[in-house]
Amino acid sequence: MTRRELLSLLFSLGALEFGSVLDAQGTNPKTAPVFQVKTLKGIDFVLRNSPTSRKHLIETMPGGVALLDYNNDGLLDIFFVNGGNVREKMTTPINFDRRNPAYWNRLYRQNPDGTYTDVTERAGLAHAGDSNYGMGVAVGDYDNDGFPDIYVTNFGKNILYHNNGDGTFTDVTARAGVAAGGWSASAGFFDYDNDGRLDLFVTRYLDWSVESSKTCGSERPTYCPPGSFPGITNVLYRNRGDGTFEDVSVASGIAAKKSHGLGVAFADYDGDGFTDIFVANDATDQFLFHNNGDGTFTECGLDSGAALSETGRMPSGMGVVFQDYDNDGLPDLIVTQLPHDPYVLFHNDGKGLFSAQELEAGFGILSGNVSGWGVGLEDFDNDGWKDAFIVQGHVFDNVETYDDSLRYREPPLLALNRAGRFERADPGSDLPVAGRGSAFGDLNNDGWMDVVTTSLGDAPQFYFNRRGQFHWLTITLRGKRSNRDGFGARVQVNGQTRFATAAGSYLSSNDKRLHFGLGSAQTADIEIRWPSGIRQVLRGVKADQFIVIEESAQP
Amino acid sequence: MIFALLCMCLLLPPQSAEPSVPPDALPLLQSGIDAENRGALDQAIVAFRKAADLAPDSAIVLLRLGDAYMKKRDYAAAIPPLKHAAELSPDSPAVHQLLGYALLATGYAAEAIPHLKMINDAGALGIAQLQAGQAAEAVANLQAALAKTPDDPDLLFYLSRASTALAGQSLDRLRAVDPNSARGHQALGQTDYELKKLPEAAKEYEQAIAMRPDLPGLRLELGQVFAAGSEWAKAEEQFRGEAKLQPGNAEAAYRLGNALLQQGKMKEAAEELKRSDLLSPGMPETLYALGRAAAITDPDAAERALLRVIELEKDTPLAGQAYLALAQLHRKQGKTDQAARDMQDYRRIQAVAGHPPS
Repeated sequence: MTRRELLSLLFSLGALEFGSVLDAQGTNPKTAPVFQVKTLKGIDFVLRNSPTSRKHLIETMPGGVALLDYNNDGLLDIFFVNGGNVREKMTTPINFDRRNPAYWNRLYRQNPDGTYTDVTERAGLAHAGDSNYGMGVAVGDYDNDGFPDIYVTNFGKNILYHNNGDGTFTDVTARAGVAAGGWSASAGFFDYDNDGRLDLFVTRYLDWSVESSKTCGSERPTYCPPGSFPGITNVLYRNRGDGTFEDVSVASGIAAKKSHGLGVAFADYDGDGFTDIFVANDATDQFLFHNNGDGTFTECGLDSGAALSETGRMPSGMGVVFQDYDNDGLPDLIVTQLPHDPYVLFHNDGKGLFSAQELEAGFGILSGNVSGWGVGLEDFDNDGWKDAFIVQGHVFDNVETYDDSLRYREPPLLALNRAGRFERADPGSDLPVAGRGSAFGDLNNDGWMDVVTTSLGDAPQFYFNRRGQFHWLTITLRGKRSNRDGFGARVQVNGQTRFATAAGSYLSSNDKRLHFGLGSAQTADIEIRWPSGIRQVLRGVKADQFIVIEESAQP
Repeated sequence: MIFALLCMCLLLPPQSAEPSVPPDALPLLQSGIDAENRGALDQAIVAFRKAADLAPDSAIVLLRLGDAYMKKRDYAAAIPPLKHAAELSPDSPAVHQLLGYALLATGYAAEAIPHLKMINDAGALGIAQLQAGQAAEAVANLQAALAKTPDDPDLLFYLSRASTALAGQSLDRLRAVDPNSARGHQALGQTDYELKKLPEAAKEYEQAIAMRPDLPGLRLELGQVFAAGSEWAKAEEQFRGEAKLQPGNAEAAYRLGNALLQQGKMKEAAEELKRSDLLSPGMPETLYALGRAAAITDPDAAERALLRVIELEKDTPLAGQAYLALAQLHRKQGKTDQAARDMQDYRRIQAVAGHPPS
């Protein structure tokens, strides 16, 4: 025996781990809370993710929420995606017990008095397939019939529910050809070829199956990092206009890149008139798919400066929002991620280039030890600057046993935008939850933006805006030559810019109406560039109203 | 290489049996040696065991048997014959060496120490002492061993462990003798910090500072506690205090600059990082942070700092980050060709590091 052999034998002491630490995101500041958290009468949804000791990765990733007016009564309704029953030892054929009402997705119709009624069963949305574990939701009027349709993503097969216009939906997945398969995450409707019909983009997380499921961690088992599983391609469906879609993932170039996609958001970042796609990838480069305008996309995240954080690290991208935070007319990106790095902010520098500026924007102070998921950029205080709301909670339900400075359940982050720099504000609740999805909209039509969030194993949270003195304007687009929802339009109001979309956040779908805070202005000048190319201008529009703007016939 | 093979051939001639062995055991001993020479360890062990049965008081037979077990990596089985051999031949270096290794390999470090002392094997002795909790002695012996073979990775590793253990023992002693002193609170703060108990660590450091506000290093450590919790404003306050106390401390200036950077106070950060660079030139982390902080306010200074990082770091991940930051800088300056070259270098380093593009 040699001494070296002896030493090899003795070399058993584990390296002392000393990662960056953390936490104490700190309590919320003692400013007036922006929201009041309420329970809503009639809503009894619980996001059942069914955590097991086996730590199947799907358990910790759901679930989405959508704000939509499915019956066109002017009141926002709420759709929640549920997980499913995960058993300790799963076998194929897999069965998530989705026939059991406890695991149904749920649609709640808002009544005129602000209460809600569960209409899931009568709407035909009750049973989402036993082999499907629910993830996210996208909403869009893909057939331009004036009623929003619902697309639900799953681990399993995705489902497209066509809105029949009579309060019911029909599962048209098979005919439409949009089931995808594998592990889908976020999805969104958008019109990538400007043909007036909404197409569909679906992110997929990773190549996971019951057979390949595994647990990581030795003494304290937990969920495996995404790198433990192969990456997978995202999916792009082109709307043929006859109720069917064509999978153009390969032809468009989308499938040329594999990764670990979670969030998705759309905007025309370079002003060429075609909507581009950003995909938040978990623990690898982020993807920016530039729309070439000829039915193809080129992934250019790295070369455009929108792939890596300010420190050059690969973000563990979860949720994403693609809107203009600094009122320079160009859409920027905020990507939420896991602890030890701030949430990433890619500032749109123009000319197709971005630079990571999370520190300049204040996210070095606001994040770093927290885990972000759903995210929105909305003007919650109507001062003319879009604020950030991020729902938070760690991936590991036992993270405290790994790192005493981290927390599985965390309160949300509300950061008010002070002329381009974000500052922490009181969201109205310090209640820590394992937050995941979030959707943004004006639930009570008072002109002030509200938030609905989901959390694992828990009821949703409803953040109602306490309101203030400033003025506002909320616009509903009605496309004629463009898609009826007007998705992809660039709307500018008094120097602010929004890109019309319901996509963004994490697994969720937002109120499609475009909300603008006007500050003290009592009128607004509006300029719309529709996906059709038509430019429309309205001047001196009175503040504090909901208006519908129909696409004009002529440029 | 400090861990040369224990050359049994010098101690135990492999070609022939020891003449002092009783005659009836000699054929078995020779048979065992032959088998061992052929690499047939199991056969050798059987032969040596039979020889030991016939000659239970032959140190050489027992040593052969123990050696065969060691070669088979059955250290536990090697111990009884080697212990008996040590009783019979208490001055045999070969016996003590093998027995010392066998005991150390099976976790009986304290028991191994006297045997390793007898053969003056400072390296193995230091390891045994480390495992037996004798950190100070371990450090001394491992340093002595390293004096002979300075680049031995195993010795370096164990020396680092022994030093850490010695530091821990000293801190334990400090906590025991005067837990309420400033140093006692500092030590407790350090422990809490390592356990990621950040609020507790902060309290200990604050108590230490209250008792000895003049003590250098306390604010630096407290600032790091706050920094670990992303409480950058509090970290800035502490680093600023340290920088005032120690204006010549480059690390304090760097930490302060980084805290300012994290808060997006780019101009102030750049000034402090430049000061740190003047105090201790050529620190890559300082230069990289300076490159980021000065990117908007002083792009030329940023470029110089990032190029210096690359010069110092060559192809490390930090150099990759510097290329990335340079690309961003060059894009903003409209130097697209240069930015493309920066990205090429970034990708090259990523590929080397095992992170090929998606």
